[in-house]
Amino acid sequence: MSTTPPMLDVRHLVKQFPKRGGMFGKREVFTAVDDVSFQVNRGTTLALVGESGSGKSTVGMMLLGLLETTSGDVLYEGRPVIGLRGPERLALRRKLQVVFQDPFASLNARMTVAELVMEGMRVHKMYANDAERRARAQELLGQVGMPAHALDRYPHEFSGGQRQRIAIARALSVEPEFLVLDEPTSALDVSVQSQVLNLLRRLQRERGLTYLFVTHNLAVVDYLADEVCVMEKGKIIERGMVEDVFDHPQHVTTQRLLAAVPKVEM
Amino acid sequence: MEKLLQVDDLRTWFRTSRGIVKAVDGVSFDVAPGKTRAIVGESGCGKSITALSILQLVPEPAGYIESGKIHFGGEDILERSWTDMRGLRGREIAMIFQEPMTSLNPTRTIGWQLSEAMTVHGKDAPAARARALELLERVGLRDPNAALRQYPHELSGGMRQRVMIAIALANRPKLLIADEPTTALDVTVQAQIMSLIKELQDELGMAMLLITHDLGIVSEVAHDVSVMYAGQVVEAAPTRDLFHDPRHPYTQGLFASLPARNRRGKDLMTLDGIVPDAANWPTGCRFAERCAHRLDACSAPPALHGSGTHRQVRCHLPSAMEVTK
Repeated sequence: MSTTPPMLDVRHLVKQFPKRGGMFGKREVFTAVDDVSFQVNRGTTLALVGESGSGKSTVGMMLLGLLETTSGDVLYEGRPVIGLRGPERLALRRKLQVVFQDPFASLNARMTVAELVMEGMRVHKMYANDAERRARAQELLGQVGMPAHALDRYPHEFSGGQRQRIAIARALSVEPEFLVLDEPTSALDVSVQSQVLNLLRRLQRERGLTYLFVTHNLAVVDYLADEVCVMEKGKIIERGMVEDVFDHPQHVTTQRLLAAVPKVEM
Repeated sequence: MEKLLQVDDLRTWFRTSRGIVKAVDGVSFDVAPGKTRAIVGESGCGKSITALSILQLVPEPAGYIESGKIHFGGEDILERSWTDMRGLRGREIAMIFQEPMTSLNPTRTIGWQLSEAMTVHGKDAPAARARALELLERVGLRDPNAALRQYPHELSGGMRQRVMIAIALANRPKLLIADEPTTALDVTVQAQIMSLIKELQDELGMAMLLITHDLGIVSEVAHDVSVMYAGQVVEAAPTRDLFHDPRHPYTQGLFASLPARNRRGKDLMTLDGIVPDAANWPTGCRFAERCAHRLDACSAPPALHGSGTHRQVRCHLPSAMEVTK
């Protein structure tokens, strides 16, 4: 066993939302994430799976600081990240990037591809000037398989798969260590999905990236992830290496999920 | 065997600012009574427009059926006027869509909408109401009596899709057209809905045209499958044959691009390039630009070789032609 702390250590994470319609000031809460703990080791992929409403995306949002936690701790390389302010928070935000499901909604339609990919570098004051940033943007687009002339175009001029590549180039622009991938291929056709999955695998290999893969697609998990946590009603109900969990599911919900996936009989 | 639905050389085009978009451009297939044919393909291949064409529901005035024949129960239903189609729609041929929330009326109760589906086709109101309750029970709503008085927003996505199925089946149609009926649903709900559809299909002896991009669902429910690419059918076969031995390079590419356990650590197959522009299809094979096996012959358009009962392939390659002999 290695003695280095896990890249990401999530401890007893809880998120509660106030319920609507509480009368006479009676405050009822809905617990979306209920005492969730897991670790992700450097250079590996952990999949967080479950049906809609299981809380898996809410966990991702809290890790990214896009949603406040109710309680619990998140350690990144052994250091607590919740409540960070100012430059420390900014530094962490650089290391932790996200790619969302819908490349149609997550890219600002009024920005050119160059502006989209350079935005993070500007925020984090990377490189001396815009000319250098633009050169870097072009390099990144090449790495994700986009043509150089893409730089001065707008997102709507590209297909779903190409937009997802732009979103990945944007996430990579600030040299992150850790990517939260929230259903990154769910909006894509299978022949395009395979391009994005190949790209993610290559980037992990070349850059040693660590992935938290939030998804309901168990075939993708079986292909790509090292470990898996199955969520239901805000709780992790089963976890382990993908092969172990998928071949010998213990929890009835995991068994139900796996049984429901239509099999391609070839 | 007598075919219930026969589509011949269907062309459904759209007038746009970029010129004529030939979304469906020479599509043929048939559906036997009581059987399921799946039409699979990726976004923009024309599969949904094919489904809408059968019911003459193509968005007008931009869209129109340029040519082709659609026979249903022996009658060429393209000869029918739009209003004459109303006797068929919802009675002989019913349709369910991907997103039940947009196909249900948010301002009417479930009971009202279900009864309406029957009264427009001549059933009297009390009989329709009784049958509505029976249908909601049959599609597995937990409290069918309460559901009659509920509005669509009060139900979950899976329950709404069950209501859509109840509406579709209210008049015991001979053909159900299901366009991505479970795409918006969680996988366990999807499995429940697909098995409900299969059960009801057997009960009613109903045929189904299933439009989907999900090869897993095709594998589990369809007897026959047609693969569409760029507005045309590129391969068609009984499902087992097609899955065991796909012959068109596009079909092969689709299967090889699926992620799976035994492909861990290896790159998945990708199809380089993009689908050509529907306003400007290539004159030769429409897949040639992305095809790894391209021949000189591919600059001429390949015909759909073979027989409808075994296998048809639209490809010049000898390996594709061989199975169709």
